[in-house]
Amino acid sequence: MDNLGFLFAANAVVWSGIIYYVYTIKQRSRALEKDLELLKEALSRKG
Amino acid sequence: MNPDAVEENQEEGNILVWLTGLAFLAAMIAIFIYVPTERTEGVIQRIMYFHVPSAWLSFFAFFVVFICSILFLWKKEREWDIYAQASAEIGVIFCSLVLVTGPIWARPIWGAWWVWDARLTSTLILWIIYVAYLMLRTQSDAGSMRARYAAVLGIVGFLNIPFIHFSVLWWRTFHPQPKVITNEGIGKGMDPTMLATLGVSLCAFTLLYFLLMGVRVRQENLKDEIDRLKKEKLYSA
Repeated sequence: MDNLGFLFAANAVVWSGIIYYVYTIKQRSRALEKDLELLKEALSRKG
Repeated sequence: MNPDAVEENQEEGNILVWLTGLAFLAAMIAIFIYVPTERTEGVIQRIMYFHVPSAWLSFFAFFVVFICSILFLWKKEREWDIYAQASAEIGVIFCSLVLVTGPIWARPIWGAWWVWDARLTSTLILWIIYVAYLMLRTQSDAGSMRARYAAVLGIVGFLNIPFIHFSVLWWRTFHPQPKVITNEGIGKGMDPTMLATLGVSLCAFTLLYFLLMGVRVRQENLKDEIDRLKKEKLYSA
């Protein structure tokens, strides 16, 4: 691998890491919002 | 939460997203177009503009963990615990990036992916401490003794950071000595264009930290709200 390849690899690692982390955060947010909706619905049904 | 406050928060969040995006765009242009290629290392030296800001962000994140852990132990308010937890997670992500980009930079320059010198080893220890911190957090409920243990670990872990910083000055290491903060002053050891590029990259990473923190803190608050509703449901059943 030449030096340009190493630079590309480092750049790819940083961007992949950031994008993957943002993706996991988004997934967690969706799951939490869904949980909250279900709970609110269950509570309002009980009155 | 007040609907007006939610809307205001969202607006602030959107501004931060745009600012972070623009800062990263500026950083990429500076790294790949604006900054000249370094004479001795060549194009590979450009890894510095990712590696150093990732290190800065992780150290800053662990500093926030340190401060918030002290405040949590002192005031016993869940809010500080949430900030510490969110910051530790971000710190571990970026410390991981430091530990991956470092060897990629080292291989063509040192001829080895990894050497057990003081800087690299102490950074690896830092990463292990905060991974342990996060593992402890997954076992812990809010307000439990484990949250306090995590706070203590968060404080102790940070004490490693001054050691990491000074390790290249105290011992002979493969890792280069500081170029930004030197005995001659701030930025005296670098070309002004390189310093400017590093500055833009540091700004972009710092903005990203605040953006991620905002989202993670909101998530933890939401989690608390869900726990509260679950208890409410349990008692009303």
